[in-house]
Amino acid sequence: MDIIIIEGLAFALPLFIIAIGGIYSERSGITNLALEGFLGFGAFIGAAAVTAFTRGNVAGIEVQMFFVALLFSVIGGAVFAMLHALLCIPFKANQVISGVVINILAVALTAFFTSQINSVIFGKPTNKFVLGVCEKFTVPGISKIPILGAFFTDVYYYVPIIIVVALFASYVLYKSRFGLRLRACGDNPHAVDAAGVDVSKVRFIAVMISGALSGLGGICFAYSISTSFSPSIYAGYGFLAIAALIFGNWKIGPTLGACLLFGFARSAGYKLAQVLELASTFSDIIMILPYVLTLLLLMFFSSTNRPPRALGEIYDKGKR
Amino acid sequence: MRKDKNTAGRDKNTTINPFVRGAVTILGNEKHQSISIPLFAILLSLLAGAIVILFLGKNPIDSFISLLQGSGILPKAQYAAKKNMLTDFLSMINSLTPMIFAALAVAVALKTGLFNIGISGQMLVAGFAATVTVGYSNLPMAAALPLVLVVGIVFGGAVGALIGWLKHRFNINEVVSSIMLNYIFQYIISFFINSYYMNPVTRQSRQVSAAARLTLTDVELYGLKMDIPLGFILTIPVAFLVLFLLNKTRLGYELKIVGLNRKAAKYAGIKVGKSMVISMAISGALAGLAGVTLYLGTFASIQPRVLTSVGFDSIAVCLLGNAHPIGILFSSLLITIISKGGNYMSSMVGIPQEIAQVITGLILLFSACGAYIRYRVELAKENIGNGKLRIENNGEGGQK
Repeated sequence: MDIIIIEGLAFALPLFIIAIGGIYSERSGITNLALEGFLGFGAFIGAAAVTAFTRGNVAGIEVQMFFVALLFSVIGGAVFAMLHALLCIPFKANQVISGVVINILAVALTAFFTSQINSVIFGKPTNKFVLGVCEKFTVPGISKIPILGAFFTDVYYYVPIIIVVALFASYVLYKSRFGLRLRACGDNPHAVDAAGVDVSKVRFIAVMISGALSGLGGICFAYSISTSFSPSIYAGYGFLAIAALIFGNWKIGPTLGACLLFGFARSAGYKLAQVLELASTFSDIIMILPYVLTLLLLMFFSSTNRPPRALGEIYDKGKR
Repeated sequence: MRKDKNTAGRDKNTTINPFVRGAVTILGNEKHQSISIPLFAILLSLLAGAIVILFLGKNPIDSFISLLQGSGILPKAQYAAKKNMLTDFLSMINSLTPMIFAALAVAVALKTGLFNIGISGQMLVAGFAATVTVGYSNLPMAAALPLVLVVGIVFGGAVGALIGWLKHRFNINEVVSSIMLNYIFQYIISFFINSYYMNPVTRQSRQVSAAARLTLTDVELYGLKMDIPLGFILTIPVAFLVLFLLNKTRLGYELKIVGLNRKAAKYAGIKVGKSMVISMAISGALAGLAGVTLYLGTFASIQPRVLTSVGFDSIAVCLLGNAHPIGILFSSLLITIISKGGNYMSSMVGIPQEIAQVITGLILLFSACGAYIRYRVELAKENIGNGKLRIENNGEGGQK
């Protein structure tokens, strides 16, 4: 049971922070299929920064480097997201196209630069940046409580960071003036414009926040699942985050529920395969658990689903 | 006298920027814009790609030529035994075939306002179903090939219809259900391949029988050894069929209306839910064709736990082709040439293979800006037009 909670949280929270990024962008009215590209590119910048600072040898200073990676991933994701913002807002490109293109470009660019940096600087023909695994901590005392204690046992360092960032992000979205304007941009941009606020600017910032949060989630995946950065980070987590946020009806609270559902169903599936001592081939069958569960739940909860009204529309001042 | 004044004024005006004026005359014609603007975007992206290659210290023109050589458009300096330009070209066509079908699948759904991101999953289901039922049977070629196509169409269409029905019945966003189904099929099929159909050496599913394969491999003709992709014969008729369906039939008209304005369609008495299911079924059937031409054509086996990237690339290819069936034929060709020639380019010029992917990304990036280019051209046209008007007004004013 404990291991299900520990592993489930470790997977669900990075997914959640990426989904919050998606919510920021989509609630401002910009369709964001580019989360996959954002998280990959952000993680790439973080990993590249670590590699640059340590000259490819992270042994011994993994913890400090983890925070360096975190910082650079957030910056990298935000900067890369500007591309999506540029295409969608001033260049008036179709937002779906832009998202797909940015995913393709992110895969191509990161694969190209990773192997190029490795071969030119280190003379190694690999497409990987080794990062090491993220440190974990256990809260003394509380962790002894049955079941609930598991939430405080072997916690990855990034888990509390993500919780703080997520709390702050939901405060900004729901309680601040900027958040109000952002949400209004997604539902009725003309009203925002009439109130004297620059719609393009709000949306631009929203997309950049989306990139920053995705970068954060991406580097956490790189540290927990693969302990390195390689093109295998493009495993569809960005799309899973999109599914989670649509499942959560573009609201942060329900989206957390969707992410936890994914996370716990996933780790429970792994555990189940272990307990039943199934052959490794059967683990594939158990891996469908989170997705089947989601589809079934969606059948009951989708009827009231409503996307932001102006989602995907290019804002045109003259149009009424 | 008036004439002189006008020309003098116009000359003054043109000094603003002859480049803009040139671009506007080429791109400004609205009739040709659907072709000229994508071409302009491709040109821009090739320029950007050339700059990247220059930065790597290589010759961009050599690189682009080797790209064309690798995909059989231009002759290489030398060939291995029993190979020449034609065999390279056919091998490129072999990869092109599934891309065209997949991009058409995206287009049909898009016209109805649906975004089919589950092409890869539908391809996998169709390919797997055809592999298991026909690919591992002893049917003769004359029976097997049509059956492969039918099985592909039926299974792909069924998955597509399921996604459409989930949207219609339960209001489940098609993007979410497609992503979920992608994962579900990927894992289930991986389970079946791993348990029953595994070739332990290649770690893929066992090869399908030669009779059921849509690509004739290693055919010896005129002293050459070539792969003949039979599926390609279907691509052009299917593209025209989709064009006919969308533009000339009642069904196609209804689908497009649903795509343009769901409420208006409902008001006009079109059954919106039914249209969405039909559109997704057609889209899925086309994806099924893409699946069988990929898994029982380009390849002869399925790699477990992997979704092909064709399904995702096809979205961009479709949009590069303006979601128009004929445009898609050309955009698929362009993207396939680049990805297919990338190998040869990297070995000949000595630049990483990923650069081909980067160029593809750049092409798609610039063509995504097509609307912006059009907008700027319109703006420039208006400016020039206004300039003319002002001069003419001045001229008249002078006479008065």
